Parts: sequence; structure tokens; C-alpha cells
Amino acid sequence: MQQCNRSQKIAICTVGLPARGKTYISRKLNRYFNWLGYKSRVFINGNYRREICGTECNSLFFDPHNEEAQKARSDCAKMALQDLIQFLKNGGDIGILDGTNITKERRHQIESDLKSSFNGIQTLWIESICNDSKVIQNNIRLTKINNPDYCNMDSEQATIDFLNRIKMYEQIYKTITDDEDLSYIKTINVGADIIVHQVYGFLLSKVVSFIMNLHTYPRPIYLSRHGESQYNVDDRVGGDSDLSELGEMYADKLADFFNQEFSTKEIKNEIIFLTSTMRRAVHTSDVVAQKLEIQPLQLKTLDEINVGICDGMTYTEIAQKFPNDFQERKINKLGYRYPRGESYLDLISRIEPVIFEIERSRQPVMIIAHQAILRCLYAYFHQNEIPEVPTLDIPLHCVIKLTPAAYFCDEKRVLINPQTGEITIKEEYVQEFIRSKSKQKSFIDL
Amino acid sequence: MQQYKKTQNKLILVLVGLPARGKTHISYKLNRYLNWIGYKSEIFSIKGAQQNNDQLDQNIDYELEIDPTNQQFVDFRQQLSFTAAHQLVNFLQNDGDIALYNGLTSTKLDRQKLKSLFKEKLKLEYQVFWIESICDDPQVILNNINESKLSRFKEKTIEQFMNHINVLAQDYESLENIENLSYIKLINIGKLVKVHMLEGYLCSKIVSFLLNLHANNRQIYLVRSCQTEYHLLDKIGGDPELSVTGKQNSQQLGDYFIEELKGNKNITFFTSQMKRGIQTAEIVGDKLGIKALKTKNLDEIDYGICDGLTVKEIAAKYPKQIKERKANPLEFKYPRGESFLDVIHRVEPIIYEIERSREPVLIIAHVAVLKCLYAYYHCNQISEIPNIDIPINCVIKLVPIPYHCLESRVIIK
Repeated sequence: MQQCNRSQKIAICTVGLPARGKTYISRKLNRYFNWLGYKSRVFINGNYRREICGTECNSLFFDPHNEEAQKARSDCAKMALQDLIQFLKNGGDIGILDGTNITKERRHQIESDLKSSFNGIQTLWIESICNDSKVIQNNIRLTKINNPDYCNMDSEQATIDFLNRIKMYEQIYKTITDDEDLSYIKTINVGADIIVHQVYGFLLSKVVSFIMNLHTYPRPIYLSRHGESQYNVDDRVGGDSDLSELGEMYADKLADFFNQEFSTKEIKNEIIFLTSTMRRAVHTSDVVAQKLEIQPLQLKTLDEINVGICDGMTYTEIAQKFPNDFQERKINKLGYRYPRGESYLDLISRIEPVIFEIERSRQPVMIIAHQAILRCLYAYFHQNEIPEVPTLDIPLHCVIKLTPAAYFCDEKRVLINPQTGEITIKEEYVQEFIRSKSKQKSFIDL
Repeated sequence: MQQYKKTQNKLILVLVGLPARGKTHISYKLNRYLNWIGYKSEIFSIKGAQQNNDQLDQNIDYELEIDPTNQQFVDFRQQLSFTAAHQLVNFLQNDGDIALYNGLTSTKLDRQKLKSLFKEKLKLEYQVFWIESICDDPQVILNNINESKLSRFKEKTIEQFMNHINVLAQDYESLENIENLSYIKLINIGKLVKVHMLEGYLCSKIVSFLLNLHANNRQIYLVRSCQTEYHLLDKIGGDPELSVTGKQNSQQLGDYFIEELKGNKNITFFTSQMKRGIQTAEIVGDKLGIKALKTKNLDEIDYGICDGLTVKEIAAKYPKQIKERKANPLEFKYPRGESFLDVIHRVEPIIYEIERSREPVLIIAHVAVLKCLYAYYHCNQISEIPNIDIPINCVIKLVPIPYHCLESRVIIK
């Protein structure tokens, strides 16, 4: 459900030692808010520091007794906060400050700066605590070594230096205590323990649920449209038509593909298999379900976008009968709502619970649904900009396998020829993606 | 996501906490919520076990008789607690989905015994989630006693009751991680919440639900949007605008709320995205000086192929559907439309918002949607939903209080 009350600004600040997943949480939350339609942005202390102090900073730079360096770092942090405040003043809804913020003084300063800059602002502090050395090592390996700070060191040197850096922080680290009178969430060991203190409000309550369900297990998400339907053949929108002959063939080949993909009975039983309640999707899913011997969940939430009065018409007919609507839709496909029907924005709101469920799951997810629905789901995981959603390419007879990871989303497209069963695979090369992002000059947007 | 329930393991929710910590209140609210979203859920408590046992003196309230010095009472409470646990096991072994247990769980030993009992007696897959309510604010405890226990006190005074609690508190052991239990601790009615080892779809939902609970007894107003052309023509569904009379009635509604809300602008005000909802809310909102939040979740039930037809036309065109609907009104789905169960599912986020709100709530919506919302507060079975009466030009005021919900209806002339 979308709450359109934009009067209260929100500032979220992270707390925690390095390699505790603060940036991961910030990015995920930022993604979630933007997808829901809020204007949200992350401000990373580390990026400001890199821009201003350069990236050749070894662990000594972070020594709390290094006064000069401390001043420089403090100035950078102030700049990040000021930019966040400006962002909120210029129409932003939610600002996320991604930094260590490990001392009471720093937190107190930020809290009072925020409160004094706005008439009514909600602040939330998210502290990530981790004492599981395996998790920390993994974090370091995955994210820090590719970090621009270490581009001139080899990975072993980088790890040692980084661990030293953490030791510097540990000397002055103070966990949030209740007497600081802050609204906070503490997540300990990737959600094994969660502590929530004085968190109220529509959006912040959602944040709590969201954080409780976050994890870093890399599990695959398979998205596929139903096989070709009668209406697809006739080029009509809406309706509840059944599969065409070609569509039925696709269902068979799809079942074969999934049967190959999941090798053991244990894995098959663990799959979260979702589909809609419309005939074409149910029919496709049933064929797959039979082959894999599992049961799909039919959710009305995954039904195709409701095209209201245009139900059953071809695009030509719509252009003739409702020329104004046709034009309107061309100009603003995202917000245009079919009379007595839905818009893409309504759709995004509608499928939010499904997004939640997918985020929560640690097992493979398989979804057989419809074009508009999959565009919304795909956009969320792939981090597309919202305006792109209505034009994303989600073709028939293609399985999209997404594997979301900490900072990117791996994608593989499997095009299945319904008649011959021939498979063509297209893979996105993710390393390109990371490199291009880190070259970005802008240290605000992610 | 209602269909999930079929694949769920059985779930046991065990309440932990000293007396007057709101355990019963929490269990009532949870039980009501779980039944509303479609699970078969029941509470098993000392009181319940006592009521089912004819041999016991029904004049003594064993839930309140916590005198630790009276060995007879202590033994009886133990017994009843045990009986309740057995009844719970029985319930789950049959067709129960979720069982809430409100018995003796104050020490590590009690909890160990309970866990072993479940392990021994339950012959199927199950999950246990522990809900502890902790309170160290004496005012809150006093309020709890006044609101929920007072009516049941006979000779006992509050002071005696508090003394007994203090004695019990000495042996009380709060949940600890070492016990290896999946739990949530609610401290001072949700001011501080601790969650440990949370697992599973349902427990996640329950935690989100519990996070929103509070003890403010605030009013909830349910109102239908006012008269439209469709009413006059006896048509259902559609997206018509208000008629002239409808606009006038909205004005009167606004006047009523001016008096009722006494200038409080902090209310939670929702309406649907349908023209009649928006128009009614605009007129009322203008009078109050506040704007309603429009959400598609409150849109009227989708009548599918019957949308826009009159009642007579539907009877003529779709007699088979009319029959089906008569046979099973709750689950009947209009072809290409929705059923009441779909509406419940759609309206669930609104319930969360109402629960979360500590200020009065005003909802302007439509018949079927309001039936579902009303049922959450008032009905024990969702099968009653189709028969609920939600007349037009009538403000239904609900005030949820511990274990109960007060209701009053005002017809707006």
C-alpha cells in the first residue's frame, strides 16, 4: 500500500564497524523506497572522503589519535550530512547516511543537526553488529578488495590493511544505548537478533520488517511469462484466454528446462513456485508442476495489469475507440491508468508483498506470470529506473534467471524455442557493470 | 498471501510474562487477526481449561488466583496449565493450524517441560514461537489491572494482587538466548522490541503485526461513500459520481465529524480511489480541514462481469452465479472479479495501518470492503461477513478495548 503523505522527511543513518553490511543495507533500502515511488538517496561518508582526501589512505589514516586525519574525516562527514539535508530540502523524501557513526558524540551531533534543520523530521538509526568472523571475512573479500581504496595493492596486502583499519575503529566504537534517546534498529549477525527501539510511523515500520527479512544468501529467481496465449495471437489486451498451440509447446519445453535446472528432489521441494490465477499462467504452471512434482501457489496479486474498459480490444481498436487515452498512454505509460483499470504504478503497489516474500526467501524462486507484472519485478531486482519499467523487454518464451548479490544482479536469459526446444543463452557480464559504476564521478547516486 | 497456509507447518505461539503484562490481550488480538486472514486458530489457557472442567469450583478464578503461598491453588493452576497444553495438542493434531498457549511459562523449567510435552505428543511437523511481554512501568501495569482484571476481582484488592505478582517476580526467568528458542520480547508495549532467531513466513507476519500493537483505546469510524446515480438505478459496481442528495449527505457527514472529532486534525483518514469515495472524502475533509489518503486497497469489491448491471439483470443473465453465491457467499468469486476472501487479503494493509494508529481513524469506503474491516473487529468467524449490515448514511463507531470492541451507530439525517 502506498502512503502518499510526503509532509514528513525521513533521515536514516547507519552505525557500525567496517565490513558489517552498512552499505548493503543502505542500498537495499534505497532501492526499496525508490521502487515504491519515494525520492530517496544514499550519501556515503566513505565516498566523500575518497573524493577529498584521495584514495591512497592506508589504515594509519584511520588512527583515532591522528588529529589531522581526524579533522579531515570529520569535515567530509559534515559535507555528506549537509548534502543530505539539502537533498531533503529540495524535494527529497528520504536521505540515507551511510557511515560508521560509531561514537556517541558523532551521533548526537548528526541527530541535533537534522532536528534543527527541519520542523518535523523522522530519524532512524540502523546499527549493524557482527561478531561472526566468517561473515566479516566474506564481506571483506566480496566488497572491499574491489574498492578503489585498494586498487594499487594486491589482495593479501589489502586484507591486512583493511583489518588494521577495522582495529582503529574498534578502539572508539560505542554501540547505541537507550539513553541516547534515538529511534534505532540493531541487526546482529545478519538478522539472527534484532532490537527495535522507539520506531514509529508508516514507512519506518516497513523498514523494520524489511530489515528483519534481509539476508545475503545468493538464491536464483526465475521469471517467465506464460506460453503464447490466444489473445497474444490476436494481439488483444486483457482477457483470460488460454494457451495457443505454440504456448502449450512452450509449457512442455519450459518444464523440461526446469527439470534439468533443479537436479535433486530435495532442491525441487524447496522451490518457491508462484503463479497468477489467470488461465494462461495456471495452465503453463500446471505443466511445469506436474513434471517437477511440486505445487504452485496461485496468487491473484500476480494477475496481469487490469486494462479496465479496454479489456479484450486490440491496440488498433483502442486507438480508434479511445484516441485520447491512447495518446495519454503514449506520453506517460508509467502513470496512465486504464479507465476502471490499473496503471503501472498501481501494479508496483500491488505486488509489493510479493517483493517482500522474494527478498525473504533463501530458496530458489520460480515465477510464471505476465508481461507487466514481470516488468515490475525485474525492475526491482535489476535496479532499473522506475520510468523504464513500462518499456522493459520481457519477451514470450524466455526464462530470465536473476541472481541478486550484494552490489549487483547477475542475469541470464534462456530463450527457448517452443517448437524445437532449442535453447539460446544470453549472459550479462557483471564485471563490466561494477567497473563502470565505480568510475562514476558522482558520489551520491547509487 | 492466503494460499500459503496450506503448506505451513502447525504453529504454536507461547506467551510468557508475569500477570498484568497484557498476555491475554496480545493473545486475543493475535487470535482474532489470524482467524481473519484465514487460519484456524485458537487460544488455550488456564481459564479455558477451567471452564471445560466441571469438577472445579467455577467461582474461583484460577487465572487471577496467583497466591504463591496457597499450595492448593498452585497445584490446581499447574494441573489446568497441563490440561490446556493437552487440549492444544489435540487441536493441532486435528484441523487446527495455529494454537496460542497462555499457561505457566515463567521459568526455564516450565518452558523445558512444555517443549518436551510438545515433542512427545505432537506427531507432525510444528514450529514454536515464544512471545514475551515485559513491563517495568508501574503506571502501565496499574492500567492493565484496572482495565482488564478489575471486573473479575471479588474480595481481592489490587494491593493483594500486586503483592502476589511481586512474589512471583522473584522466581520469574526472562527468555534467554541459551534456551535456544525463537522469540520476540515486547518491552513496555513495544517501546523496545527484541527478536531472536526469527524464521518463516507466518512468524515474520506475526512480528510485523505485534510491532504495531499499542494500548491506546482510540475510535475507528467506518462510513460508506454517499448516494450515487447507481443507487437510484439499483445498479452495482461501476465508478459513478455522487448524486445531488449524495453531496448533501456528505455535507451532513462532515458536520457530524466536526462535532465528533472536536478539532483533532491528527486523525488517520483513508478513502478509496473510486470517484464516490474521493468525492465524499473531499467534502468531509474540507469541513474538517484535513485531506484523506486515497488508496486502491479500499476500492469496492470487483464485480467482474456483473459490474454495472442491475440486480434484476444479473438474476436474468447469470442465474447459475446467483445460486453459487447463495450456497457459499464468502468464497463466491464474481467471474473475472473478486471474492470476499480476495477483499480481505487486499484490505489487510489497512488493518495494519488502523492498528498502528494511536489517533482516531476515519475510513470512507464501500459496502463489501467495510464488511471485511468490520469483521476484523467484531466477528469470530469470517463466514459471518456476507451477512454484516453496513447501511448508507450511517457512521459505525468502533472502540476496541481489551478483549472486546464497543460499537455504536449513528444515522446521519
